Amino acid sequence: MSPERTSGLLLRLYPARWRARYGEELKALILDASEGRASWRLGIDVALGAVRERLRSAGIIGDLPPAERARGGILLVLAAWAPFVMAGVVVQKFSEHWQTATPPGSRTLATSAFDVLLSGAAVATALILAGVAVALPAAVRFLRSGGWREVRRHLVVAGALTVAAVPVSIMMVVWAHGLSAAQRNGQDAAYETAVVVWALVLALWLVAWTVVGVALGRRLALSTRALRYVSLLAVGVALSMAAMTAATALWWVALARSAPWFLAGEPAGSPGTSFAPALLLAAIVMVGAAGAAAIGASRALRGAPPAAPRP
Amino acid sequence: MPIRSKNPNEAARSNDPPVLILTSLASGPKHGYALLQDIESFAGVTLGPGTLYGAIARLEERGLIEPLGASGRRRPYALTAAGATALEMTLAELRTIVEEGTARLARTPRPQAAMTERFA
Repeated sequence: MSPERTSGLLLRLYPARWRARYGEELKALILDASEGRASWRLGIDVALGAVRERLRSAGIIGDLPPAERARGGILLVLAAWAPFVMAGVVVQKFSEHWQTATPPGSRTLATSAFDVLLSGAAVATALILAGVAVALPAAVRFLRSGGWREVRRHLVVAGALTVAAVPVSIMMVVWAHGLSAAQRNGQDAAYETAVVVWALVLALWLVAWTVVGVALGRRLALSTRALRYVSLLAVGVALSMAAMTAATALWWVALARSAPWFLAGEPAGSPGTSFAPALLLAAIVMVGAAGAAAIGASRALRGAPPAAPRP
Repeated sequence: MPIRSKNPNEAARSNDPPVLILTSLASGPKHGYALLQDIESFAGVTLGPGTLYGAIARLEERGLIEPLGASGRRRPYALTAAGATALEMTLAELRTIVEEGTARLARTPRPQAAMTERFA
């Protein structure tokens, strides 16, 4: 690939505002420095520079005023929640009917861990909805004052995916009701394929609305009190994510000890293995997302405005 | 204004990209490629374009350097008065460390030499 084309692709990684200011200069420098052939080391340096600028523009790194630091931290927690939910759905699907596959006397630890997982999901969802409710008046003011033009593209994509996701979901539920349990669990190849497509549509839908949330969140003029409340809610979401990640690991360990055949997808009583690739992938995503949320929560907490003293 | 924005109380390192850029610009305005070449020649440090422009953006944001009129796609940058002051402060910090380190080394026998003497 020519250095001209490589530099064009690398520049697209940078935030639009940064690109508008420094893009041409950086492109000229890449062309000068590459001397006819862009090296992988140069490419990595420019790509890492783009990641730094994106994190900086989102308020996640850098020397920023406390309120902007808090805003960046909140948005990092929100962004981390989307992959966490996707991993959670994988765990939920994987764990279907685990109680029936486990000997009755050895369910206590797994049941407790699973209850923590479900409670954490409910608490985190409630906290996120509470955050949306706190930010809603500012969002309405922003959109009514013409701000919708700035987020129109994101809203159109999210709206289109919603229009696609609703009928697909209804169709899948109706289809599933007409199938036996065996057909729903791998015997019907057409249904399995449709489930994968459905999951993909739902994942894109979740990502699209998260992008809308982040794009709006970067532009809202939140009051000091609203920013403080949302920062505290973000800390709550991050704590819930950490608890859910730990609970998933504990549930996995408990099942590996009491019913390894369930993790391997084998009949009850088989020797089985406790290694489950889907669960491992979900756990890695959960750990990564919970870690990102913890960083975001820490920034939100440090940047959050203190409560006004009572008169 | 100190060069380090993240932790102004922390001493700058001589190979920090902002210190290298300000040092290079102390001899006159330069565009990106000229900065890379100059820094490599006086410090032996090869900065990547992404690292260089990240540092240029921060320095410009903090008023320590300023862009001059572009010639084609290239844009030269010059040190501001605040940038010159910041560089002086940083060099003074580094000088203190260099002088202190040199004096301490002169007063103390080198560990390697002591070991060599012991096993000779």
